[in-house]
Amino acid sequence: MSAPTPASPGRYANSGGGPTLLPFDIGHSDYLALTDPATAFWALVKKERLAETLAGGPLLDAYRARVVEFARELHGLRFELKPSAVYVNPTERCNLDCTYCYIPRDMRRDGAHMATDKLLDALGRLKAYFATVMPAGRRPRIIFHGAEPLMNRAALFAAIDAYGDDYVFGVQTNATLLDDAALAFLTDRRVSIGLSLDGPLAEITDATRLTFGGKSVHAKVLDAMERLRGYESWSVIATCTAKNLDQLVPLVELFHAREVPTCMLNAVRCTLPGARTVKPADGALATHFIAAVERSHELFRASGRKLVVANFANILLAILAPTARRLMCDISPCGGGRAFFALAPDGGLFPCSEFIGLPAFDGGNLFRDEIADILKSPAFAKVTGRDVDKFAPCSTCAIRHFCGSPCPAEAHEMNGSMEKIGAFCGFYEEQVRYALRLIADGQAADFLWDGWDVGVETSFAVTLQ
Amino acid sequence: MSTIVTQQVPSTANAVAAQPAAAPAAQPTIIASRQSCDADGVGLSHYILMDRKPSA
Repeated sequence: MSAPTPASPGRYANSGGGPTLLPFDIGHSDYLALTDPATAFWALVKKERLAETLAGGPLLDAYRARVVEFARELHGLRFELKPSAVYVNPTERCNLDCTYCYIPRDMRRDGAHMATDKLLDALGRLKAYFATVMPAGRRPRIIFHGAEPLMNRAALFAAIDAYGDDYVFGVQTNATLLDDAALAFLTDRRVSIGLSLDGPLAEITDATRLTFGGKSVHAKVLDAMERLRGYESWSVIATCTAKNLDQLVPLVELFHAREVPTCMLNAVRCTLPGARTVKPADGALATHFIAAVERSHELFRASGRKLVVANFANILLAILAPTARRLMCDISPCGGGRAFFALAPDGGLFPCSEFIGLPAFDGGNLFRDEIADILKSPAFAKVTGRDVDKFAPCSTCAIRHFCGSPCPAEAHEMNGSMEKIGAFCGFYEEQVRYALRLIADGQAADFLWDGWDVGVETSFAVTLQ
Repeated sequence: MSTIVTQQVPSTANAVAAQPAAAPAAQPTIIASRQSCDADGVGLSHYILMDRKPSA
C-alpha cells in the first residue's frame, strides 16, 4: 500500500490543510470573531479587515505554527484528565422541597442517611483510589452535597475531622441548619461553604425554595450570610428560573452589599420534569443574566471590591485560557465521570450529582466494586462519551468548546438522547458573544478572580495595529 | 496591518481607583491571545470551591 496522499500545504484558510477560522458576529460595533472550533482558538478582527485577514498574513502565519500544539492541549483537557473530586451525598434527605431539585421528592423526604462508619469507610476508599491517580502533594476535593448534607451533621463532621489532612472539603448547604456551632466547626477547619438563595426578597426565594411544610427559609439564609461575612471561603448559588429573572440585578446588589466573594447564577438544570415548569426562555435568561453580570461590574468599579459571577467567569476562562477553567460543565465531554463523580448514600457512584435520581446512571458501588472499573462502566461511558464534535448542531458550531452544550443529564432526560443539545443552547451563545465583547473592550479581567493567572503562561499573543 | 505586538492578556484590575486616566489607545485591528497552564483537573460542576483567596 502506498503512503496516503498528503493534504495541501495549508496555505489557505478554510480549505485543504489550511487552518480553520470561522467568522461569526459577536454584537460588537467594531469586531467580528474568528474561531477554530476544533482547537478553541479565537481572534477578534476589525470588521473591515476580515477579508484581508482570511487571505493570509501574520495572524494565519502565527496560528498555523501553533495549531497542532493547541489541538493537543484541548485534547488533553477533554479526554485525559483523571478524577480529583467527589460530590459526596451523605444523606438522601432534605428539609426543603425546591421546585427544581434533581433529586426525586420521595428520596428527599423519606430517604436514608449514610451511617458515620460507612462515610468514614467511603472516604478511606476514595483516599486510596486518589493516591493512585493524583500527583503527590495535591489533595483531592470532597464536596458534601445534597439533598441537604447537614441533615446528617454528625457523620459529616466526623468525616471532616478524620480526613482533614487528606482532602480539601466543601459543603453546599441550604443554610437552614447552619447554626453558630456548625458554622464555627466548618470555618475553624477552613471548609469552603456554599449557600443557596434565589431572590433578594422572601417572596422571590419562596417561589422555588420552601420547606416541605411550606415555610420560608429566606431569612435564615440572610442570617447565615451575615455570619459568614469576612470569611474567605464562601459563596452563594442562585438558580435562575422563570420566577426570579427580573430580580437577578437586585440579587447581585444584595450579594455585593453582603460582601459575598463569589456567586453563581446557574440556569436551572432541567433534568427532572419539575424543573422544566420554571425553565426560562433562552433570550430572557440571557438578557437578565448579562444585566446582572454588568451590574456586578458596575459595583466593582464603584467600590473596588469584586463579586465574581463564577459561572460566567468560567466562560471567559474557557476562551482566554482553556486549561485554567475551574468548572467542568461547559466543556465536552463534561467533567462528570472523568474530572469528578458523585457518591450516593447507599454507596452508588454516579458521574455527577445530577444523575443520582436516574438509576440507569448508577455505575457501581463504592463498597463492592473497584472505582477504576466503575469509571469504565457503561453507565459512566454514556456521559464521558458525549462529544459535541459528533452530533448536530454542535458539530458545526463555532463556539462548541467554549460551551460544551451542558448538560448531558438534561440532554438525555429532557431532549431524549445524549446526542442532543442541553437545555440552554441560545443562552450559552449569548454568554460567549458577550464574553468576546468584553475581551474586545479590554475588560475581561474585571470579571475574573484576582490571581486567576497565577501559574498561567501566555502561549499566543498577537495584536496588530 | 504591519505591526505585530505580543502582549499579555490584561492582568487583574483590582486597584481600580489607583489607575490614572489614560488617553484612549487606538483600537487594534486584530486581537488574539491564548494562555495555558497545567489542566490539573480540579474543575467541578455546580459548586465553586473557594480555595483561593478572593479579591480584596
